[in-house]
Amino acid sequence: MTQFTLNGQSVTVDVAEDTPLLWVLRDVLGFKGTKFGCGIGACGACTVHLNGRAIRSCIIPLSDAKGGQITTIEGLDPAGQHPLQKAWVETQAPQCGYCQSGQIMQAATLLKDFPNASDADIDAVMSGNLCRCMAYVRIRQAIKIAAAEIRNGAPHE
Amino acid sequence: MVKRLFTGVVTLMVLSGLGFLFFAWQPALTAIEPPQAAAFPAEQIAQGEQLALAGFCANCHTVPGGQDYAGGLGLDSGFGIIYTTNITPDPETGIGTWSEAAFFRAMRKGVSRNGAHLLPAFPYSHFAKITDPDLTALYAYFMTRTPVKAEKQRNTLPFPLNIRLLQAGWKLLFVNSSAGPYQPRADKSEAWNRGAYLSEGLGHCGACHTPRNALGGEKLDHAYGGAVIDHWLAPSLTHTNPSPLPWTEADLFDYLRNGASPLHGVAAGSMAEVVHMGLAKLPEADVRAIAVFFADLNGSATVDAAPALATAMARERNDTGSEADHGAQLFRTACAYCHYNNAERPAPARPELALSSTIFASDPVNFIHVVLDGIGSKDGIPGLYMPGFAKSLSDDDIAELASYLRRTRTDQPAWPNLIEAVASNRKSLTASH
Amino acid sequence: MSKFAKYAESAETSTGVSRRGFLIGAVSTGFTLAFLRPDALISSAEAAVAEGAFEPSVWYDIDRDGIVTVNIIRAEMGQHVGTSLARIVADELEADWNSVRLSYVDSNPKWGYMVTGGSWSVWQSFPYLSQAGAAGRIALIEEGARLLGVPKTACIARNSVVSGGGKSITYAEIIRKGNLARIYTAEELKAMPVKPAADRRLIGLPTKAMDIPGKTTGAARYGIDAEVPGMVYARPKLPPTRYGCTVLSIDDSAARSVPGYIKSVALDDPSGTVPGWVIVYADSFTAANQATDKVRVTWKNSDVTTVSERELLAHGAGLIDTPKIGALVVDDPGVDHVFATAKSKLERNYTTNTVLHFQLEPVNVLAFEKDGVWEIHTGNQWQSLILPTLAKALAVPEEKVVLRTYLLGGGFGRRLNGDYSVPGALAAKAFGGKPVKLMFTRPDDARFDSPRSCSVQRVRMAFGDGGKVLGMEHHATAGWPTQVMAPSFMPKGKNGEPFDPFSISGADHWYNVGAHRVRAISHDLANKTFRPGWLRAVGPGWTNWALESFIDEAAHLNGIDPVTFRLALLDGHGKNAGSAPNAVGGAIRQAAVLKRAAEKAGWGTPLPPDTGIGIATSFGQERDMPTWCACVARVKVNRADGRVKLEKLTVVIDAGTIVHPDGALAQTEGAALWGASMALHEGTTFANGQVKDTNLNTYTPLRMRDVPELDIEFIASTEVPVGLGEPATTVVGPAIGNAIYAAVGARVRHLPIRPKHILDALVGKPLGG
Repeated sequence: MTQFTLNGQSVTVDVAEDTPLLWVLRDVLGFKGTKFGCGIGACGACTVHLNGRAIRSCIIPLSDAKGGQITTIEGLDPAGQHPLQKAWVETQAPQCGYCQSGQIMQAATLLKDFPNASDADIDAVMSGNLCRCMAYVRIRQAIKIAAAEIRNGAPHE
Repeated sequence: MVKRLFTGVVTLMVLSGLGFLFFAWQPALTAIEPPQAAAFPAEQIAQGEQLALAGFCANCHTVPGGQDYAGGLGLDSGFGIIYTTNITPDPETGIGTWSEAAFFRAMRKGVSRNGAHLLPAFPYSHFAKITDPDLTALYAYFMTRTPVKAEKQRNTLPFPLNIRLLQAGWKLLFVNSSAGPYQPRADKSEAWNRGAYLSEGLGHCGACHTPRNALGGEKLDHAYGGAVIDHWLAPSLTHTNPSPLPWTEADLFDYLRNGASPLHGVAAGSMAEVVHMGLAKLPEADVRAIAVFFADLNGSATVDAAPALATAMARERNDTGSEADHGAQLFRTACAYCHYNNAERPAPARPELALSSTIFASDPVNFIHVVLDGIGSKDGIPGLYMPGFAKSLSDDDIAELASYLRRTRTDQPAWPNLIEAVASNRKSLTASH
Repeated sequence: MSKFAKYAESAETSTGVSRRGFLIGAVSTGFTLAFLRPDALISSAEAAVAEGAFEPSVWYDIDRDGIVTVNIIRAEMGQHVGTSLARIVADELEADWNSVRLSYVDSNPKWGYMVTGGSWSVWQSFPYLSQAGAAGRIALIEEGARLLGVPKTACIARNSVVSGGGKSITYAEIIRKGNLARIYTAEELKAMPVKPAADRRLIGLPTKAMDIPGKTTGAARYGIDAEVPGMVYARPKLPPTRYGCTVLSIDDSAARSVPGYIKSVALDDPSGTVPGWVIVYADSFTAANQATDKVRVTWKNSDVTTVSERELLAHGAGLIDTPKIGALVVDDPGVDHVFATAKSKLERNYTTNTVLHFQLEPVNVLAFEKDGVWEIHTGNQWQSLILPTLAKALAVPEEKVVLRTYLLGGGFGRRLNGDYSVPGALAAKAFGGKPVKLMFTRPDDARFDSPRSCSVQRVRMAFGDGGKVLGMEHHATAGWPTQVMAPSFMPKGKNGEPFDPFSISGADHWYNVGAHRVRAISHDLANKTFRPGWLRAVGPGWTNWALESFIDEAAHLNGIDPVTFRLALLDGHGKNAGSAPNAVGGAIRQAAVLKRAAEKAGWGTPLPPDTGIGIATSFGQERDMPTWCACVARVKVNRADGRVKLEKLTVVIDAGTIVHPDGALAQTEGAALWGASMALHEGTTFANGQVKDTNLNTYTPLRMRDVPELDIEFIASTEVPVGLGEPATTVVGPAIGNAIYAAVGARVRHLPIRPKHILDALVGKPLGG
């Protein structure tokens, strides 16, 4: 049995501890917003937060999440109205949308570390997240809009 | 390191003769009735507990998740597995029948109560520097632990390495047992002397950090010069350490006390155990003392860190990797989201590789080890986490990544034979998992 | 891919859909617009509804609260097609946009031909959706006028309200109180008075795509998210090559140590889609994944297990060298004479490597049998193509198979080929029809991809005095997806030989070049080694690499500015004059986008050292549905290491009417960056009969830090709306190649462009390929 906190709720699962966290979230706990892309931590589609930091859940064994705080896209904001989510709609960033949960979760850590993120900061941190539709221009734009909103005191996380 | 030790033993066997045998023979000491716990003053036991932490006894003599000090941890010697012994006061399987004299002899001369020579994986050459009162306190501590009945597993060493007597020859060459306990230096501060006593004696830092000669003896003229042991590099603790920023007393204290120095890196592998199972629980003054000793040893007080910091941060900002470079691609794809920095100093929780002792180290083993296995909850500092990439990246990928970071983040010469190094590390990792 | 569209229209006609009467009828929940059942002999809408003699909800319905639900038969894969299609209906219907909802439907013959590809959805759907919207509007106005007691000529409809004579009534009230029953013949429907462009209130105006909010909260559901209670997981164990391997034995002794492992089964596939496949079942994906790695399968191998990219390109060059083979797609008289008598000639060869789709959601399928019907849950772009194959594989009639619809985690043409659903269906069949979720790992997906084939092309041009172009030849060979997957779609060339239109389109350009010959050759070794796929922009993605690089070379050879040279050839005369409805204006519109792009990008102004701009133009996908494109790329080349920094892309497009402007911009941004990615970043090669790069450690699509400045403009137009999903892809590669030449004088003729190619070209080494 492995216990961790998921979006603020304590959960306990009974699966092999070498199971990647991604599949525990998706198939055991039913949180399908986190996606599977490459399985080697190189596309970012599976990004969630472990203790407040963006991590690639496809390469993280459940054992490493033991006792940790996990946040998925479903838990980023109770109403789905995190400044990043709002900016994503405002800029119409998603195309197929498959990578966007991961993009948003990575962007949340980006803005924590770089509240005034420059283009260079955004490019460097976000280049780990592949958008195969190549909606990069809008993702970058959305991050800047959200950053401004957060700087102006919008509630987030 | 252990492999070297055995190479030495074999060589010695060839040289051995009758005289050697005479020297090598040690008598058994009389077994005693296990003493009552009440026989030891409480403050002596408490002191012994601190000393056991400072000597990291549990790191080897307790199996993770197992009973305290019951032994059984397998150490890979390269030739076979050596299992650590049960040091609880169980009369049959532990040290319950050991007198204080037997304990003193084991700690200082590496001889078991029954006269058998202990393998030098047990660092008695360092323990010989422990003072009598401290040894007495340690004896009190161990004799008052809960006895655990746990037979020692048989080592898997092949003949002739399994001949205990031969260990004596190694001692003859490399153990100066007549030197006696640590003698304080009058020209140094009290803290320095305390640090030196802990480091050289009980803490046995040199057992890993001092390179060994062909026969496995510590090269004392290169004390703390750094050495590869069990697929980790125990880095140089002297001025020869290639880290871009000097390891100052404050940095050393941070690292030893908490497991990370933001401007150097984190403790991983067995060093993480040293920190989290030992140093973190010692009195702060003792950890500070160790930092004082090594800061003096490496001369960091005289170095201005600012230019090196500026250079490193500029290297990070001016990443010269090109898009066709496989290593650069991997870094941008799989690493930069955590490791990128763009300021005068690295952001908190964004380990800066242009400052990393690991990337500057002479040997890539630590880099490879960390990439393969990650930084887990037992390593580094709480909250800092890095996944292992053993299942994600190929030997070629990791070699390219290493080569790219070495080229763009340091001024050090390229690491040679990287693909082979990754492959060999991966093999050892698979074996140990 | 407009050929699909043409095919779809004919398919509709053949099933009688378009001849059917059309009904507006009141039903218990509101009212519906529907086709009469083909066998219905009903004279009144009331009777038709009473007898249920109609196919409900074919296009849209409106409930008693006025909520308009538009049925979407297209796959949602990032183009926000549902929003665009609903805007067309709602505009004509004069519906309040806030009351519009989308319903993505499952496969069913009543929807007609189901395919989403070729940037074609809006273009093909626009006429009938407009007419259906107009029919509803007219009925609502008529009935609203009656209820208001006002002449219908005095009434107008806006925002779901009919008003006239100072009174008004909402659509919801009309539906609750009125009698909307109507029947129209097919002819009446075609004659519906569709609004003039000036009266449009939704089409062409900014809006927010309806599929986007769910994609920011994790609520959006893709094929990979489909699950049913009690399902087991499975992963395929892929044979060494795509075709021709047979399973000799399976050894699962090691896999049995994996907790949760169930069994391994060799598939029996009557459709021949997945020969030599073994399916590994387990109670979780992780267990299936681990077990698959441990299962040992012995195959009888095919004869392509040693095929390499080098061999494929060499074989292609050999095919090009062989006269008389292939289809003559264009074959003007006098080509040979012109070349025999020309003052000067230019001949160049161009090659491209294999490209993976690498849609981010690896292919997957959930399949099971329920009440005698096989349910296939997966994202798919071309349901009508794969249904017969699934039926054949399962040995059941087509009506016993239904494809359930999900969002696509990327299409790009990969999911036009629904081959991945076949092993899923067979895996369920081999498991007693119980639900099986077949998941592909990323390397599985890459190895089973139907990639963009490598290609070899030879282009020749004959010149007269002053560089006057007298004749042109374009020979191209690649693996032909259409030949492999939909051979009935292959038209015949001038010499009677069938050809894959999607593997040559682009070469049949709108330049007037005198006597013109285009020859398309099927690459037999490619077709045998792998399953070639349709990939974003398909043939034009690489035919234009050759064509537009060559035009640039021809211009420079004759000392003529590349823009001037092109404009002279885009004179809009003769066969390039264009025609209504789709290609009004012809080459003149292509010339216009070319001029505009050059002007925007500052063509002819001085640039810093080693910096250059290059231009390219195309008609997008197909001559029948031209989307006029031009692109100017600005690059800086590092002479020392051959690195190219793509600084800026200027793209100008004339796609006729733009239904959803922001969606159009997003599609063009993506398409342009795909072009850049395939030119400079991604690409793979075959080795040992397999693609070499199967994951992102070595397959390297463009990332955010590689994105250049983008300047995109659409020509304002009220012409027929044409495709937008792919066209920009076609012009970026050659614009970059031409810019590199302009910057440092290195001519590259191979995609992807690697620093080594530029270094070689700088020292005059022949192309390595």
